[in-house]
Amino acid sequence: MKKYLRVWWKMSSMSLMAQISHPLGSVGFLLGKIVRIAFFFAFIIAIFGHIKNLAGYSLSETALFFLTFNIVDISAQILFRGIYSARRAVSEGDFDFYLIQPCSALFRLSMTTFDFLDAITLLPVLVMTGQILERFSSPGFFVHCLLYFFLTFNAVLIASSFHILVAGLAVRTQELENTIWIYRDIMFMGRFPSDVYGPLFQLFLTFVLPIAVMTSFPVRAFLGLLSPQWIAYAFTLAGLLFGLSLWFWKTSVRQYTSSSS
Amino acid sequence: MRKYWRAYQISIQETLQRRSSLLMDRVGGLAVMLSLYYFWKTLLSGRPSFLGYSYSQMLTYIFGMNILRSFALTGRGWELVGEISSGKISSYLVRPLNYHGYALSLDLSKKTIHLFAALIEVGALLMLFHPPFYLPQSALSGLAFLAALVLASLLFFFLEFLVSSLAFWTSESGGPLFFFELCVQFAAGAFFPLDVLPRLIQKGLSFSPFPYLVFLPINIYLGRVGEGQMLRDLLMAGLWTAVFAAISLVVWRKGLASYSAEGG
Repeated sequence: MKKYLRVWWKMSSMSLMAQISHPLGSVGFLLGKIVRIAFFFAFIIAIFGHIKNLAGYSLSETALFFLTFNIVDISAQILFRGIYSARRAVSEGDFDFYLIQPCSALFRLSMTTFDFLDAITLLPVLVMTGQILERFSSPGFFVHCLLYFFLTFNAVLIASSFHILVAGLAVRTQELENTIWIYRDIMFMGRFPSDVYGPLFQLFLTFVLPIAVMTSFPVRAFLGLLSPQWIAYAFTLAGLLFGLSLWFWKTSVRQYTSSSS
Repeated sequence: MRKYWRAYQISIQETLQRRSSLLMDRVGGLAVMLSLYYFWKTLLSGRPSFLGYSYSQMLTYIFGMNILRSFALTGRGWELVGEISSGKISSYLVRPLNYHGYALSLDLSKKTIHLFAALIEVGALLMLFHPPFYLPQSALSGLAFLAALVLASLLFFFLEFLVSSLAFWTSESGGPLFFFELCVQFAAGAFFPLDVLPRLIQKGLSFSPFPYLVFLPINIYLGRVGEGQMLRDLLMAGLWTAVFAAISLVVWRKGLASYSAEGG
């Protein structure tokens, strides 16, 4: 564990130095990320200037759905930014060096880049989420908060599974660099409560592409709208997906024959 | 003119060859369209209208938005930044062609493919969900929409060209381009109609070129703009395009003057 912390610290410091040495680029990317969140937030607030609820949810509740989506999305990016360049690492031969280093190749690949800009973006999102959660002081508040926390963590685990699957694909095929962006694009649907989508589409977002499990379940559990069966489903799904992604990663690495040097 | 036509044709073939990139772009657009379609459908259920948009007008705005994003807001900014930063642009500068004309040909080829893809997507959704679709109430609205579409496309081309030209002076122009692209999408109304925003923000945006990219063309199509206003809007869009074409040409020339490359 200590070894991994040391590797993480080293890689993160190098990423930070790289970002500081490109101030204009870093500020541009940071402002872009903040603007994206701010505009959507302004949109939600502006909409509620004209309506009282959306699919039965109030402004605070809808904002909580949006913020939860951001927590899951940004956390996955912080943890797995390196996966975005997995194909390049494989085709240029860097991955061969990761394999001979005395730490997990997946960890090494993921931590190649630690995006401090995402970490900075996450801070205001967490603060706003805390402020909104505080407004719902009701009986069972503590239990609901715990459920929200664990289901959000569960969502990050599902997002991690998708990233590991994509990394496995990159190692196997050296081609699928776009897969991660397709995942990111589809995640756009998580910005709104899943109740907004029709019943059939909701089923799709719950069982096929579990975006609803990732972004809507934590909030619904917090609001006391999620049954124990669905909570159990969310945890089981995350466990299965995470197990599957690790198995896929291991078999991909086992079949890897080096594509460059 | 023939060489630009050839560049257009070759670029179409190249874009169609990189099917995974095209698929990625389209999946992104489709996800945005589906999300916003359901969002507005839910919001408008039980309401005859919202901010003056009828149910059919709002859903048509979403479909129109997908088409405008695909045609007007599709560009080659990142490619241009890459070409300048890597020095690849040198090989174009020694060729007997005007780089702006060449870039416009490539831009148009990308827009053509994305426009067709967007039309197919919208057609598929119309067949699948049978939502009410608003058709222009007069031939004038339809023609004015087409004119606004062309102007929006040119305006975005020059705006993006201008921001990408930063690459002549810094290797960090990716950040500003990322910021620009995100701001444009929101300020142009490519996620939601600008009428939703508070009046002060709407007023501020009306002094910028951004609403002429998506919001105004769709509003012209939806017949929400009177004939006199329509003409004024088209003139303003033309004026903004001319202003940014001039600025981008000046900046380009200054950039070329400061550009240097080694090797080959």
